[in-house]
Amino acid sequence: MVVQLNNKNPGKTMNHYKPLVTAAAVLLASVLSSAAAVAKEDPIRVGIMLPFSGVYAALGDAGRNGLKLALEQNADKLHGRTIEYIEMDTEARPDRAPEIATALMSQKDADFIVGPVHSGVAMGMLKVLRNKKPIMIIPNAGANVATGPWCAPNVFRTSFSAWQPSYPMGQVALDKGYKKVVTMSWNYSFGKESLDAFEESFSKGGGKVLKKILVPFPKTEFQSYITEIAALKPDAVFVFFAGGGAVKFVKDYNAMGLSGKIPLLGSGFLTEGTLAAQGNAAEGIVTGLHYADELDIPANHRFRAAYAAEFGKDADLYGVQGFDTGLLIAQAVDKLNGNISDRDALIQVMEDAVIPSPRGEFHFSKAHNPIQTIYLRTVENGVNKVTGIAAEALEDPARGCRSN
Amino acid sequence: MDFAIFLVQLLNGLQYGLLLFLIASGLTLVFGVMGILNLAHGSMYMVGAYLAWYFTLHTDSFLLGALLSAVIALALGIVIEKTLICRLYKRNHLDQVLLTIGMIFVFNALQSLLWGNDSLGVDVPELLSGSIQLTELVAYPVYRLFVAVLCLVLAAGLYLLINRTRLGMLIRAGESNREMVECLGIDINRLYTIVFGAGVMLAALAGVISAPIASIVPGMGEHVLITCFVVVVIGGMGSIKGAFVAALMVGIVDTFASVLFPAVSSMVVYILMAVILLIKPQGLFSN
Amino acid sequence: MIFTNKTEQLFVWIFFPLALLLPLFLEQNVFYINKLTTVLIFAIFVMSLDYLVGRCGLITLGHSMFYGLGGYLFFMIAPEYEAVNFWVYTFYICVIAAVIALLVGVIVLRTSGIYMIMITLAIAQMCFYFFSDSIHFGGNDGLFILMKPDTSLFGLAFFDLDNPIHFYYFCLLSLFNCLAFWKLVLASRFGRIMDAVKNNPDRTTALGYNVFLFRLISYVMASALASYAGYLFALQYGYVNPSMMSWQTSGSALVMSILGGMGSIYGAILGTAVYSGLHYIFEHMTEHWLLPMGLMIIAMVMVFKSGIAGFIENWVERRK
Repeated sequence: MVVQLNNKNPGKTMNHYKPLVTAAAVLLASVLSSAAAVAKEDPIRVGIMLPFSGVYAALGDAGRNGLKLALEQNADKLHGRTIEYIEMDTEARPDRAPEIATALMSQKDADFIVGPVHSGVAMGMLKVLRNKKPIMIIPNAGANVATGPWCAPNVFRTSFSAWQPSYPMGQVALDKGYKKVVTMSWNYSFGKESLDAFEESFSKGGGKVLKKILVPFPKTEFQSYITEIAALKPDAVFVFFAGGGAVKFVKDYNAMGLSGKIPLLGSGFLTEGTLAAQGNAAEGIVTGLHYADELDIPANHRFRAAYAAEFGKDADLYGVQGFDTGLLIAQAVDKLNGNISDRDALIQVMEDAVIPSPRGEFHFSKAHNPIQTIYLRTVENGVNKVTGIAAEALEDPARGCRSN
Repeated sequence: MDFAIFLVQLLNGLQYGLLLFLIASGLTLVFGVMGILNLAHGSMYMVGAYLAWYFTLHTDSFLLGALLSAVIALALGIVIEKTLICRLYKRNHLDQVLLTIGMIFVFNALQSLLWGNDSLGVDVPELLSGSIQLTELVAYPVYRLFVAVLCLVLAAGLYLLINRTRLGMLIRAGESNREMVECLGIDINRLYTIVFGAGVMLAALAGVISAPIASIVPGMGEHVLITCFVVVVIGGMGSIKGAFVAALMVGIVDTFASVLFPAVSSMVVYILMAVILLIKPQGLFSN
Repeated sequence: MIFTNKTEQLFVWIFFPLALLLPLFLEQNVFYINKLTTVLIFAIFVMSLDYLVGRCGLITLGHSMFYGLGGYLFFMIAPEYEAVNFWVYTFYICVIAAVIALLVGVIVLRTSGIYMIMITLAIAQMCFYFFSDSIHFGGNDGLFILMKPDTSLFGLAFFDLDNPIHFYYFCLLSLFNCLAFWKLVLASRFGRIMDAVKNNPDRTTALGYNVFLFRLISYVMASALASYAGYLFALQYGYVNPSMMSWQTSGSALVMSILGGMGSIYGAILGTAVYSGLHYIFEHMTEHWLLPMGLMIIAMVMVFKSGIAGFIENWVERRK
């Protein structure tokens, strides 16, 4: 009833019809929802819960592009079923998450719900969607709980857990001979989880974290904290920041004259999608992540070329994660010959899926988090150059996950 | 904290405070003269930063970009005053609050329509891109020092403008008695237009100047707005001198609180404000 | 009859029966039930603000603090894995919120006008950051409430809060009670003195009334009911987040109150419903829903000053 899409031209046509159709939907929803019969010819309803306004809007946009690209490329594997997208703006506001998730589940009767970017929103979604009918696929939010204590049979994640990119970095720091490190991030769960994961491996190997600096979110006046780092004189600094905060931090750190003297390590988001804005200041930063734009494997080259051709801009990590979400859906639908009405069978094929991702092949852990390689990257001439592998086929410990 | 580091932190606080003053001065000026509470002031700061980015990208010159941005902001301020604000002088503060909340929505939407949602950055102009070595480890970016000096110059300019010129005299007169100024044959509406335009320009200018050291992101205006309110309220609504003192106070307190009491640092400036209002309900220098 | 005004009677007789019947049409659709429940809850909050701003002349931009506190207080005082009695905890939460409001009110009410707007904003921000930066209260990510309280009273339980339809009716009842409560307050001697305080504080003082005390009592009542609304919101999805306390929440509540017709109390319900409806429609029309929403707010301030309630009142008057 809402946005019926032909597989061959997704994206553009829908906005025309959206207002009209939505207005009608508001009035007729109750009638129509009961009238909808389950038939194989029905479209597969994919709810998208991503931020399209506010600070994380760029991430939401890239995720959506990737998702649509994958489903478009694999249209012939859907056994004649079309995809209907229902897009909802989360505004990255956690307090609205339960409401929107309920909307996609009960009102729109979505088969898959893809989202979100923001960990707080993920919590609100999980509250509503855990152990319910729709399959929830998280294309970004890395809060450990989603595949930890809050894991559920119908919750998958195609991105990462906060633990994954940071844990190997402790060993990396030790290998480089750093003994005393200051860690720093915003004071929210993802940031804290990243720092804890780093500290876990770093302390195990005999390193010492001098100080853990937690900056109130979303403050970006870092000047005084950087001065404090200078006063502590550590061997290196490990940080988690993303987006605008990452740009600001890296530039300030450089301007304060520390970048040559106290090396900067980070969870990969520090230099992801931010290098153009960071400019020279980012040179030499070492980060760990499950992807790099420059990753030299065929799947990545194909993906990047297709993405650039379709959307007129370069792909990024968030596009990859959206793309893999699309691959996962397409593969599941393909294996079940287009009939996804048996939820247990659907979950089973999704658990067994091997995703030929641009980041390299991966499959899912018992807790439904990717078991994936974490690459070691160094910023050289404005790109994240892959200099090695920080951890091969790394599996999140999924602490507290019992239900799977 | 050894003494050198203490001095660097003090410098951080002063520099942050001066920037705050620049943003807050427009807000307090507009309120003092016109009695208008402009919640969209932070949006003007955001607009300034985005304009600076846009023009610097297209003209390859930060200075030229800054000038163009300032002119556009002034024009924008005048248009807003002529079409919307001028109808609100006789209304209460509540209507002003609502109108300007509506304006925040509109500006946020326009920002996302015109410039997208990526986080952007402007390079520090070549001339000012160096750093001065302070201690063996810490250097201080020249641009930040430049910003501090520029803010000081603007503060002095504003002070002279208000206390030494005819326009300033009219502004002061308009503050204390609107009717009397009108009776003397002065076109108060034109005065208001100028003041509002200047207020918007000051906010946008602050945005322009911070563009190279801030990250230009959606919603950047709202973060700044609330801190500015604190500055303006502590200083006394409408008082430029008060805003100056309060901005330095907030800058320094915030800087040291974030190092010394990290757990409660974002509350500290609000506590400061509550305490000051408890002692002086009208702020430090209210007229 | 507490509803003396003709338009108001009209509204009550149309709205509440309609609201009672609505779930029958929507039974298939939990989403709409939940959405409407959220609107009802927020209307309780907006109503308390409407009383403060419209009837007491106390403009606050920090009312969301109490809305958020309602949710957080429940988390703080209730045991995590045990269902508690709803009424007992409603009492606790309202009393604690009232005590906090009393302390805050003593500071805030020393100021007036623009200063009051600012200081309420500052105190709410302080509270916002307290929870947003906290370690024990979920910080920026918010908290989950695992157990919903049960509503039995003297051994009789009419509402099961886990059932969305029950919850809807429960909130509708709460809304009606709040409306009745405010009407009773306004009709009482206290309410008439409050009117005088709003219109001419000096003269009221001259008549021997303690203006400060009357304002303080009003502030405390409104804050307690705001926290009740926040408590209901927290229970609906079992989720609290600092953004409940953000100044944007206060701001949109103010817009709703004006849209409905400032000071009309029942207008708060209209304003909340219309604003939420528009938000819903715009949001589904375009990603850039902020634009039509912002333009609507601007247009409303410029030309639609008396709000929906005022509009209907004029219409009813003219038909006489």
